[in-house]
Amino acid sequence: MAKERGDLLQGTLDMLVLKALQLEPMHGWGITERIEQWSESVLQLGQGTLYPALYRLERQGLIRSEWKVTENNRQARFYSLTRAGRRHFSDELAQWRRMSRAINLVLETT
Amino acid sequence: MRWITEGWNRIRSVGRRRALENGLDEEIRFHLDQQTEKHRRAGMSADEARRRALLDFGGLARVKESTQDEIRPALLEDSVRDLRYGVRVLRGAPGFTAAAVVTLALGIGATAAIFSVVRTVMLEPLPYREPDRIVAVWETNRGGTQRNTIAPANFVAWRERTRTLEHLGMVGPVTLAVVGNGQAEQMGGLSFSSDGFRALGVQPALGRAYTAAEDFGGGNAVIVLSHEFWQGRLGGRRDVLDMTITTDGLRRTVIGVMPPAFTVVGQKAAFLIPYSESIERLRAARGRGSSYAIARLREGVSFEQAYSEMRRIYAELEKEAPQRNAARTVMLFPLHEQMVGEVRPALLALVGAVVLVLLVACVNVANLLLARSAAREREIGMRTALGAGRGRLMRQMFTESLVLAGAGGVAGLGVAALCHRGLLVLVGDRIPIPRLDQLALDLPVVAFTLATALATGILFGLVPAFVSTSTASDAMREGSRHGGGRRLHRLLSTLVVAEVALSIVLLAGAGLLMRSFIKLQRIDPGFRADGVLTAGVQLPATRYDLPAASRFYAESLSRISALPGVQHAAGSSCLPPPGSCIVTSVWRVDRPKPPDGQLRSSQIRPITPAFFRTMAIPQVAGRGFSETDTAESTPVAVVSDSLVREQFAGDNPLGRRLHINVDHANGRSDMEWVVVGVVRDIRSSQDGAVRPIIYTPTTQIPARGMRFFVRTGQDPLSLATAVRGVVHSMEAEAPVDVRTLEEVVGSTIARPRAISVLVAVFALVALALAAVGVYGVMAYSVRERTQEIGVRLALGATAASVFCLVLGQALRLVFIGVGGGLVAAGILTRLLERLLYEIEPLDPWTFTVSAVVLLAVAAVASYVPARRGMRMAPVDALRTN
Repeated sequence: MAKERGDLLQGTLDMLVLKALQLEPMHGWGITERIEQWSESVLQLGQGTLYPALYRLERQGLIRSEWKVTENNRQARFYSLTRAGRRHFSDELAQWRRMSRAINLVLETT
Repeated sequence: MRWITEGWNRIRSVGRRRALENGLDEEIRFHLDQQTEKHRRAGMSADEARRRALLDFGGLARVKESTQDEIRPALLEDSVRDLRYGVRVLRGAPGFTAAAVVTLALGIGATAAIFSVVRTVMLEPLPYREPDRIVAVWETNRGGTQRNTIAPANFVAWRERTRTLEHLGMVGPVTLAVVGNGQAEQMGGLSFSSDGFRALGVQPALGRAYTAAEDFGGGNAVIVLSHEFWQGRLGGRRDVLDMTITTDGLRRTVIGVMPPAFTVVGQKAAFLIPYSESIERLRAARGRGSSYAIARLREGVSFEQAYSEMRRIYAELEKEAPQRNAARTVMLFPLHEQMVGEVRPALLALVGAVVLVLLVACVNVANLLLARSAAREREIGMRTALGAGRGRLMRQMFTESLVLAGAGGVAGLGVAALCHRGLLVLVGDRIPIPRLDQLALDLPVVAFTLATALATGILFGLVPAFVSTSTASDAMREGSRHGGGRRLHRLLSTLVVAEVALSIVLLAGAGLLMRSFIKLQRIDPGFRADGVLTAGVQLPATRYDLPAASRFYAESLSRISALPGVQHAAGSSCLPPPGSCIVTSVWRVDRPKPPDGQLRSSQIRPITPAFFRTMAIPQVAGRGFSETDTAESTPVAVVSDSLVREQFAGDNPLGRRLHINVDHANGRSDMEWVVVGVVRDIRSSQDGAVRPIIYTPTTQIPARGMRFFVRTGQDPLSLATAVRGVVHSMEAEAPVDVRTLEEVVGSTIARPRAISVLVAVFALVALALAAVGVYGVMAYSVRERTQEIGVRLALGATAASVFCLVLGQALRLVFIGVGGGLVAAGILTRLLERLLYEIEPLDPWTFTVSAVVLLAVAAVASYVPARRGMRMAPVDALRTN
């Protein structure tokens, strides 16, 4: 059961990461901050759960990473969307919109 | 195509792993620092901020582990997980799994078995030095294809004149009474020239081979034993070298033992003996004997060069010795061809049959998988929604197929072992398929089996994996099942049609072979084989010259005739066809002798007077032989019907005279033989052929070996001991080979029987597979059309009409398959022509029966799904969406 929920959450988390990176490249902590602005429950299991997701997304070729220097002169790994990532995000978004519209229609028809 | 990128990145990450892991530590440290800083700015103390940050982060160790999982190429773990999942899925559908595994085991196992046969018999290189440089030499009629044995005189000439061949040696089978340890026993060995060892490039494992001096000198009697003889009959005794072995009364010294499993061109021989004739005697020898020759191509010489040189030499010999060599020439074969040539067509037919069976098995399992995928659509849809990529799903399904294939492969090994045993039992000693006894489930066979399993797994696994995952994503997107379902159904239907067609081909082939075999069995051999015992006796040449042998046989025969239970007893120098009798040329005295190219030949059978009575061969005209036909009286002959047609067309043969190119008992070969009687032909049971035969009295053409035929009213084998006793009481060292005549005749049709049984087994297997295929596709179709059926039933259609609908659909498919199959069979059965006796490859009766059988089986297979469709309640049907 927990695994199923985890899988479902995993899908959602991926989407949020991709959305977060849409505007500009960011490091892991920065992504955490932004996601928390949108929804705190997602990271209920701990901020650290972000990192497996990041590494997996990179492996799937949806994001890429490189080491850069922050304003505070610290070394951090910055992530950015790849072209495939952008495409995947818009596909998933369209599908999500379609499904939720169908569900809404059913729910609103009494 | 994300899974390609993913795979590639996984592979790349293997190299970057260390860097990634180090980077992770750095990254986490950065994160914690930032979070700590955030809390401090909110007003907490340094310690508390740090603690809070760690809490926010969550389990540090677990995060590191999960992330490292993503770094490490998890291919192996994923695959293990896939494997376990696949096994669980398969265990959950035991019926399907059993059917699929058994199907695959049959196909893979049979393929592996035939592969090992082909490999052992045809592909494995011969165990000689540079075997492709060795040739076999035979003689033949000019323009003919029959291999004839060579004349020793020609052999000597070739040996002296050839410049393209070296180490020319003769090889001839010989059966002798061998005394090694105790009892005399008839054993098969080879007369083998000393040069033969060098032609093959082999040496005895113990001791030495005999030299040319010993061979042509003829002095010391020597013998080289086979490894099996030494181990088996002599108990592997250490003092085997220099011990004495007696062959046909001649004492020989053992000078060598060959390595294990040594054969000369596939012929097993218990011993090798030299010809022991001087060159002069060989040159002066008339006639042909029973040997062929082997030789090695000289360095740098090609096969064609050697062949044309030998032909040229033979042309010279033809001019020098016309009565021996007229209208004949020489035949050369590469040694491998010599061994394999006769068996090749049968083996290739088997390979064809087995490949067909494997294809049918694959198609069937693919069918079953596709049919089952319909039931798994929901599962697949859910997994896709939860984030599984298509590549991942495909890999999952593919792994299931591989598990099936693996199980099928392992079970197939068992089937292959069974096939080996079956082949050996069916074929075994009766048919000299060379090296068949060396079949084993060794590494190459096992590897081949597993490779075949892998290939079939890919073959039948790929398509269902593709198709079912594509319909799945379609299903979730559009919320309907019809589009994908229809495409699937068309694919399934095509597969079943192909299966049915393949089955028809196999059924037709098996039908033809079986009918041919039954016809062979029904051949009237021209004599009565039941109730007759045969006993073959060979006397040692050293103690019995021809007259003494004749007296011995005459005396034995009269004693045997006096035994209780014996109705008739007679002797002949060779077995009924295709027994090895003398074959020589025959021409009429009262007509001019035909030119040498047109001389007819005939079998010559010396017999005792009671022969026709014993064998129940009807006399057509004239008389048989009697005691008055002796060596001093007029040479007489009794001929068979076909000889009369050949030589005397139209004329009454009785009283006319023939020249036969054979030695009379008085030593002359120019006697005139008077035809005193005509008998019915006897037929060979092997191929139904009739050959002209000339019978003569044994007193006039004596034989060294004699076969007694004893007719009795009781079980023939009950007389075996008595007959042996008679012979041994007169000559203790003479081996007696006792068999019933029925056994002898039966052994000649062993090969056609074996082949037709094998193909029939394959055909039955293919039929079962096709039945399963039809069932599978029909079951899927019914499930697929559940909605449609429900609507029809709800709108008032009768159950019977639904039944007919489903059944009709099935039969339509089958009809197409049968039609295509008949066409294919019509083309392919022509390949069987050589193996068929009195049956046309396009025999209509066989084809019709095959089609009818398949239609009946398909109808039965569709019955269950059709009934299920009929029984559906409309409400349930409509509800299933």
